[in-house]
Amino acid sequence: MPIQSYLFLSFSLFAIGVMGVLMRRNAIVIFMCIELMLNAVNLLLVAFSKVHGDPGAQVFVFFIMVVAAAEVAVGLAIIVMMFRKVNSVDINILNRLKN
Amino acid sequence: MCNFLWLASTEGIGSYAPVLIQLLIAGAVVSLLMLLTHILGPKRKTKDKLINFESGIEQIGNARKPMGVKYFIVAILFVLFDVEVIFFYPYAVNFRELGTEGFLAVLMFVALFVCGFVYVIKKGALKWED
Amino acid sequence: MKPLIATAVFAILMMFAALTVKEKKSFTHFAAILMLGLVGLNVWELADYNRLLASAQASPDLFGKMLRVDNYALWFNVLMSSCSFFYILLVGRSIEKVGVHVGEYYALHFFILCGVFLLSTYNNLLILFLGIEILSIPQYILSGSDKRNLKSSEASLKYFLMGAFSTGILLMGIVLLYGAMGTFDIHGFNFYATGTLNIMGVVGVLFMLVALGFKVSAAPMHFWTPDVYDGSPTPFTAFMATIVKVSVFFAFMRLFMEGFANLDPYWKVTVLGTITVLTLLIGNITAVYQQSVKRMLAYSSIAQAGFMMFVVIGSNAMAMKGMIIYAVAYTLATVGIFGVLLKLKDYTYDGFNGLAKKHPFLALIASICLMSLAGIPLTAGFFAKWFVIAAALEQPGTFWLVIFALVMAAVSLYYYFKVIMAMYFKTGEPELITPVTTMDKVVMAIIGSAVIVFGIAPDMLLAWI
Repeated sequence: MPIQSYLFLSFSLFAIGVMGVLMRRNAIVIFMCIELMLNAVNLLLVAFSKVHGDPGAQVFVFFIMVVAAAEVAVGLAIIVMMFRKVNSVDINILNRLKN
Repeated sequence: MCNFLWLASTEGIGSYAPVLIQLLIAGAVVSLLMLLTHILGPKRKTKDKLINFESGIEQIGNARKPMGVKYFIVAILFVLFDVEVIFFYPYAVNFRELGTEGFLAVLMFVALFVCGFVYVIKKGALKWED
Repeated sequence: MKPLIATAVFAILMMFAALTVKEKKSFTHFAAILMLGLVGLNVWELADYNRLLASAQASPDLFGKMLRVDNYALWFNVLMSSCSFFYILLVGRSIEKVGVHVGEYYALHFFILCGVFLLSTYNNLLILFLGIEILSIPQYILSGSDKRNLKSSEASLKYFLMGAFSTGILLMGIVLLYGAMGTFDIHGFNFYATGTLNIMGVVGVLFMLVALGFKVSAAPMHFWTPDVYDGSPTPFTAFMATIVKVSVFFAFMRLFMEGFANLDPYWKVTVLGTITVLTLLIGNITAVYQQSVKRMLAYSSIAQAGFMMFVVIGSNAMAMKGMIIYAVAYTLATVGIFGVLLKLKDYTYDGFNGLAKKHPFLALIASICLMSLAGIPLTAGFFAKWFVIAAALEQPGTFWLVIFALVMAAVSLYYYFKVIMAMYFKTGEPELITPVTTMDKVVMAIIGSAVIVFGIAPDMLLAWI
């Protein structure tokens, strides 16, 4: 399959993720959209790894997955902490910080 | 007749024909049965029948109530320790080439993990009862 | 790479100390000793490298070309660990008050320093990514560590969501660059030989620019900074605004100086120039309208980021010197002013009223630090600004940028001197929440005199380059 197809697919996923982050209000959904962005990157890395014949990129994918897992752990803990305080995961409450 | 010959062939797309037939039959049976029960079965709507079935035990409160944070911590720790196993894949592929030095490196990696695990246990994150 | 391994080991030591030790005060002592050890290890590493260099045995590449060390990066590590040492001495008692997990807070500081050392010596985009993540994830936790305070939790959630988003953008940039160049090694990029793939590389550079600009809070990616810096517990804000920010700038500069060396100069002057102008404008103008000194310092850190952008624009030998001097001047001055701020109960300008009468020493140190931030001659901040502007001027077409920066520096005088005016010329009863101990006085005196000494002889900081 030509590399263009992979580019198109992962750009679409990435764009969906970015739009989700910008438009959704629920912290968990935003977080899932960020994960979608990271997975779009992973897909593209594996495709490029094949194009360049360089397995280093696949190792990079492993690192991204592990770092994403660490981020999930910290992020979900923060979201749970927030939920226990205000009983909501809506990010509109963040606007309270403004003043 | 010639048109249906591909169904009998064992090569190419034709080899998947039995799967297709099976799928069709399964779908037909399910929809037929659902339709039959809908038409033939008697309908009696009572309040008892509308509540959730909880193994015959009386329902207690709403199911959507906050659960203990214990589940959450265990789940998060599982995700962390589960995903880190990913680093064994590249090691497994190059197991022979890396030799003793690689083995020691992986051993150090696991030792760091054990450090984290000991910390988690000592901190009491995995203690189920208070 | 002894210090890098040491940071991780020290962090784990702190974690286990947190399990066994109950007394909060001992954590600060332990962390200060470990940090002093880290400074020693960094000096050892630098001396060792120089000794090997003299006998032509030193190899700059480490860990399979993942890291590359040189005198410059090692000296930066020495300076950053020394600043962290003074930071712990100055704000340690306030860290003890943030919450119950004091040992873990220090462990997270050591993990952040691990990221700092990775960022100063990276030679591969993988390490750049890992460094930024190792640096960021502990910060998400630290900013939310004051669990009783809703503002702290909100700051943490906001920082986390925005930070993770920018990580995604950074990764997309790295991947596109990799797709165009076929390598993650920052010395292997060639922007002239890529032909049709060039557009992919350029988009990659743009993505990385946005993500790194986000991490250093350059406008228009700065919007998270005031809220997060304001909401986080004050001692951690001091760390985030100084050592972390400066280190990401160091990585930023290295990327543009070594990785993107043969990128069209148009990028440096026009694209980075636009970001610089916006950062200076937004940072300085908004800082003028703030009521709280903590929030003013957050905006001032955006404004200072605008000046540090000149280092990236310059990307030359002068910029390397400017980076070191700016890093030290900005870090010392900001840690000093936060040290004074932490003693006060009221963070508004009115809280500083009459401080000079009641605590003349605190007021003196605060004034020296604020003057250094404003760039008054005879303080380190003056030479810091002088060096970065000189670095930018070596790049053609930056004259208008420098003029604009000078105008903005004049604007910054207003809000820095507003605090000094409040301390010296207004009357009031400033309340302290913690008494000023002898230790505080000694550390503040060291910071204050260092700011002045480096303002007279900035060459002392450049001895190792």
